Amino acid sequence: MAATAPLVLLIEDEPQMRRFLRTTLRAHDYQVVEAASAREGLAQAAGRNPEVILLDLGLPDLDGLEVTREIRRFARTPIIVISARGQEHDKVTALDLGADDYLTKPFGAPELLARIRVALRHSTFPPGTAPQPVFQAGELRVDLVRRQVFRADEEAHLTPTEYKLLAALIRHAGRVITHRQLLQEVWGANYADQSHYLRVYMAQLRHKLERDPTRPRLLTTEPGVGYRLREG
Amino acid sequence: MVTAVLNRLRINEYASSVGIIATATVVGLLLSPHLQVIDVAMLYLLAVVVVGYLHRRGPALLASLLSIAAFDFAFVPPRYTFNVHDTAYYLTFGVMLAVALSMGQLTARIREQAQDAGEREGRARALYALSRDLSEVGDLQDQIQVVTRQISDAAHGEVQVFLDGSNRKLRADDWPVEGLFESLAVRIAAIWAYKNGESAGWGTRHCAEAEALVVPLKGASGIIGVVTVHPRSLDDVLAEPERETVEALAGQAAAAFERTSLSQAHEQARIEVESERLRTALLSSLSHDLRTPLGSIEGAASSLLQESSGLSPEAQQEMAETILEESRRMTRLVTNLLDMVRVETGALAVHKEWQPLEEALGVALLRLEERLLAHAVDIRLAPALPLVPIDELLIEQVFINLLENAAKHTPRGTPIAVSAWAENGSVMVEVVDRGPGIPLGEEETVFRKFHRTAGADHAGPAGGSGLGLTICRGIIAAHGGRMWLEQSAGQGACFRFTLPLQGPPLRAVPTEAVED
Repeated sequence: MAATAPLVLLIEDEPQMRRFLRTTLRAHDYQVVEAASAREGLAQAAGRNPEVILLDLGLPDLDGLEVTREIRRFARTPIIVISARGQEHDKVTALDLGADDYLTKPFGAPELLARIRVALRHSTFPPGTAPQPVFQAGELRVDLVRRQVFRADEEAHLTPTEYKLLAALIRHAGRVITHRQLLQEVWGANYADQSHYLRVYMAQLRHKLERDPTRPRLLTTEPGVGYRLREG
Repeated sequence: MVTAVLNRLRINEYASSVGIIATATVVGLLLSPHLQVIDVAMLYLLAVVVVGYLHRRGPALLASLLSIAAFDFAFVPPRYTFNVHDTAYYLTFGVMLAVALSMGQLTARIREQAQDAGEREGRARALYALSRDLSEVGDLQDQIQVVTRQISDAAHGEVQVFLDGSNRKLRADDWPVEGLFESLAVRIAAIWAYKNGESAGWGTRHCAEAEALVVPLKGASGIIGVVTVHPRSLDDVLAEPERETVEALAGQAAAAFERTSLSQAHEQARIEVESERLRTALLSSLSHDLRTPLGSIEGAASSLLQESSGLSPEAQQEMAETILEESRRMTRLVTNLLDMVRVETGALAVHKEWQPLEEALGVALLRLEERLLAHAVDIRLAPALPLVPIDELLIEQVFINLLENAAKHTPRGTPIAVSAWAENGSVMVEVVDRGPGIPLGEEETVFRKFHRTAGADHAGPAGGSGLGLTICRGIIAAHGGRMWLEQSAGQGACFRFTLPLQGPPLRAVPTEAVED
């Protein structure tokens, strides 16, 4: 087991936070490399070839956004950014720069582990390659070949845009997608600022696919950031 | 300049009196074939009365003298000379002069008295209008506007008010020429008026070359500024009574300005006392609310560490749960405190985007899922509810605080309802519970900082910070809306807020049909 244990790089300056992350990850059979500064983290990211990177946005020596941009120059390694509440803007920027997901402090161990699992799975099957012909999550079943959508075995009829939106969410299943990314994927680059398009179609999708659209279980909102299609 | 001097001498009035006597002479000459000489004398007396009525004493006196001369010259034989043959005419002249003088002076006096009364009435009316308008505004800036308008109406000129803002004495170098006063002359007049407490500039004896009249604002504590009046044209004459009216208005304005700055100083002092009280409340609240969970966390963690061998797995589990719960409680408290600071200091940045209200509400419901388990939450959003321009993170916080409050203050099993509908260019949102409600008369105090309702403990040791509603109201106000508590006895609490439907322009979302 130990030989195949995935390697996680922690870039975090606070020792207490590092200790919590290290202990939790080791207890769940991950290997951990630590970096207490951005420069050290960049060196480790290039030298150790980690499978997931946990990156704190509030580093003292270099802006976390700068680190994200830097890593993306040489690696496609999944990056999960860690931010404090109130840093929504930085979070969104990091995601648009190529980070894969985020965690907001304070967070618990289950949340951390779930994010890492999703990130690892997407790095083994990057989006766009060998899509599963049928996507299933909870009551939702989508036949991506026949373009058919079922909720609890009953077919749901979607408009072309609703289907495009759902398909984009499925490609990123389990991970957060920012408003901008979804708008670009579904409507095109000219619509990146028309976030109300997205919100209106998302509401329509929820009314067709969720049991209670005011309490969505599947198509969840990431406040101030974007949306996430939950897998289980 | 010459015109101004002529104006000051009222040369027009003298010219007019000459004209009137000349007219009387012409009329007399035309009618002389049909009149006795003595009748013509009557005609002149009439002319003098007319002059006295139209003008002042000076022109009336001139008219009296002129009428005697003209009468003698044109009508008394031998005509067209100033010679008099019949000495009886000297008596006529004497009587005529006496009558003309006294009638002219009498009519002039009556006219002047009427004019004075008119001016007094005008001044009284202006003063009354000023005090009425001043009483309607409480803000210094608004008062300055009222004063500017009223004095401008009374003096028929452009008016500006310069107030001594900081109670320090104005010196020559305090008022730069540029920007404040348009010329050096006006600036000098202003400083003179300010120092001496007397009007200066245009139409006065001091600094008369200035293009504006400067009237000092005399308050009880001294001179607090000046008012300048620019005539529409420099050839205009500023009559003495008009200047007196301006001075009277300035006196009243000064008293009002002084009262207002005094009450503002009072208000400032009250705010300071209030914020001092708040600081004390904040400190005691912080020391209690932060220490309690910290104590539990430290206690639970240390027993986990030291007695782990002796603790049963259940006990260990319980300790860990205590740590988790108490840290969450502290997170909530610290979040509230930080939000409060943002609301208070105006650092609340609102990023509005058009969106369905459903989404922000959904996030709040999901986040509070565990805490709302004991209550059925009924969501009633109007079917065609428009998109609203809101900052989702902030409005979500409003829903979280309101729903959390409702859960905290109502018995288990009672329902909570959230409704929303469009009304008068806003979306109205309502959060209603079926709890005991808020004591009548406390509808406003619940929104105060650190206000905690007694006996608020249906959901365990939730321990509110007493900040939630204050933050909600601050957030709604930052969205341009209003939040209030509406309730009728025995009905539970009903919090309402409005979200105005005004925001950045919106591109309509195209509709489309379902695919086959």
